[in-house]
Amino acid sequence: MAQQSYEPNPVVQSIRTKAVSGRRHLRHLLANTVARYYFLFSILALCFVLALVILFIGKTALLLFGQVTPAQFFLSFDWTPEEDRFGAAAFILNTLSLTALTLLISVPVSVGMAVLTAEIAPAWLKRLIRPILDLLVGIPSIVYGYLGLTVLLPLLRRASGEGLGDGLLAAALVLALMVLPTIARISDDAITAVPRKYRDAAYALGSTRLQVIMRVVLPAAGRGILTAVILGMTRAIGETMAVVMVIGNTPQLAKTLFTPASVLTSNIVMQISNVEFDSTWNYALHMMAFLLLLISFLLILIVRFLGRKRREG
Amino acid sequence: MKLFKKITFTALAAVFAVTASFAGAASAAGSLSGKITVNGSTALLPLTLQAAKEFQRMNPKVRIAASGKGSVTGPQAVKKGIADIGACDWDASIDVPGFKAFSGQVANKVAVIPFATIVNKNVGVDNLTTDQLKGIFSGKITNWKQVGGADADIVVITRAFGSGTRVNYQAKALAGGDIVKKEKNYKEVGSSGDMKTAVGTTPNAIGYIDLVYVSGDVKAVKFNGVAATSDNVINGSYKIWAYGYYMTKGQPTGAVKAFIDYVQSKKFQQGSLKKLKFIPISAMK
Repeated sequence: MAQQSYEPNPVVQSIRTKAVSGRRHLRHLLANTVARYYFLFSILALCFVLALVILFIGKTALLLFGQVTPAQFFLSFDWTPEEDRFGAAAFILNTLSLTALTLLISVPVSVGMAVLTAEIAPAWLKRLIRPILDLLVGIPSIVYGYLGLTVLLPLLRRASGEGLGDGLLAAALVLALMVLPTIARISDDAITAVPRKYRDAAYALGSTRLQVIMRVVLPAAGRGILTAVILGMTRAIGETMAVVMVIGNTPQLAKTLFTPASVLTSNIVMQISNVEFDSTWNYALHMMAFLLLLISFLLILIVRFLGRKRREG
Repeated sequence: MKLFKKITFTALAAVFAVTASFAGAASAAGSLSGKITVNGSTALLPLTLQAAKEFQRMNPKVRIAASGKGSVTGPQAVKKGIADIGACDWDASIDVPGFKAFSGQVANKVAVIPFATIVNKNVGVDNLTTDQLKGIFSGKITNWKQVGGADADIVVITRAFGSGTRVNYQAKALAGGDIVKKEKNYKEVGSSGDMKTAVGTTPNAIGYIDLVYVSGDVKAVKFNGVAATSDNVINGSYKIWAYGYYMTKGQPTGAVKAFIDYVQSKKFQQGSLKKLKFIPISAMK
């Protein structure tokens, strides 16, 4: 063997000496086993909780279709639970349009912020902006909601001449502010990760800075930015407390930006404490929660899929 | 390692010592024992918590756990056997609009809760009749000038269906009339706190709330010419009020009965209950 021609390595030798000592060996073996079971237990605990959530919400939710047809639940716009009419179509559409509106407002701004921090800002400004964005991510949503109620709504009322101001626009503005730091920080990382040689090559060909950013850096960071957008989207879809304070909580389709309306999350939180345990109404609310779970799950799958493609590319 | 064991041992010993001394103190006084669970209305929660504190001081062997959610969860929890007492803003042993009676349950009156119609401070109107309120909440009256105010749209703020406040307000102030949702100038809120914030920050808004919450940014309006005050509730001229109930499965017994008796006692009704701005049940005829 080739090893024999070398001087004995001091490290290897010390490991060998340790291995010879039986008690030590046993202890290491024990520690490894214990650690393995600990890690296994940790992941099993997580799976267990997840399974419980899916099982219990799903189980209660599916009871709904014994009493209401899926067609009524998904297609009817009439949500009058006190008279046994459970149409959730308005909530589903409102959720989708609120999310779309939120992204429409927040994506351009947050990608702009990411370009600024990653490409344009001097080092000291970067060091200032990044911690501030991290801090914004951690602010509880109820704080955003309260600001929306007390600051944003009066402004919207004055600007629009509406009496109330509650509705999709107010909710979308609050949500946009909430998801902005998330999207900006992740996009920022994606842009920073674009190899320097791409930029150097583009500059060498005589591009201006704007051309480099728009035609080279952003396309190269595209998938990372998409991941950021989808993460922001999941946060927007699942957000409850901030939305419930500014959307008006009225079960009807939002025909205008200022129609008081309700989305899946806000309707669940408004009504869950006032329903009886074994009622169709309760099952319908659980079905709405299950629907939210499915939507988030779908979005996370998309994120994973995109992430894998990116690594391959 | 040894040091660690020592610390653990000392800590355990300390915990045992403390527990033992508590147990010792507990056995010293009071003959009642047991655990009482109270679920239900948030409106009655402050009253329950205060009564529990005083009752446990007199009967150290009794433990009382109280929590608040929607009113209907009170009788529900009693029905399921989760709670011994279900606090509810209406008499759940009979049918009310939207909720069926809970059969086999006994309603024990514990307090009188007055409610008030409130408006934003910018609203000039300070008296509304039953018919005007019915018109406003059913969406037939939409402008303040129709009820003697300025030319401005009325913004209706209401509690979500199932709220105890809403059940009582509809029954007493609207004489059973409906609250109808509208495409604009209509908003539902989830709690008394949200109601106060929403009416307080929205010009031309109208809503309703427990009288104890009225202060600052909102103005209580007169109902059929009578001001919303405790005195007017007691003398019978102000009609928007309701009893708060403790629902029990059958007639209460043992520690539960003793607790309800304490809440209904003159000492508690005239003392702490009044301080919390509820009205004693004995004041009503």
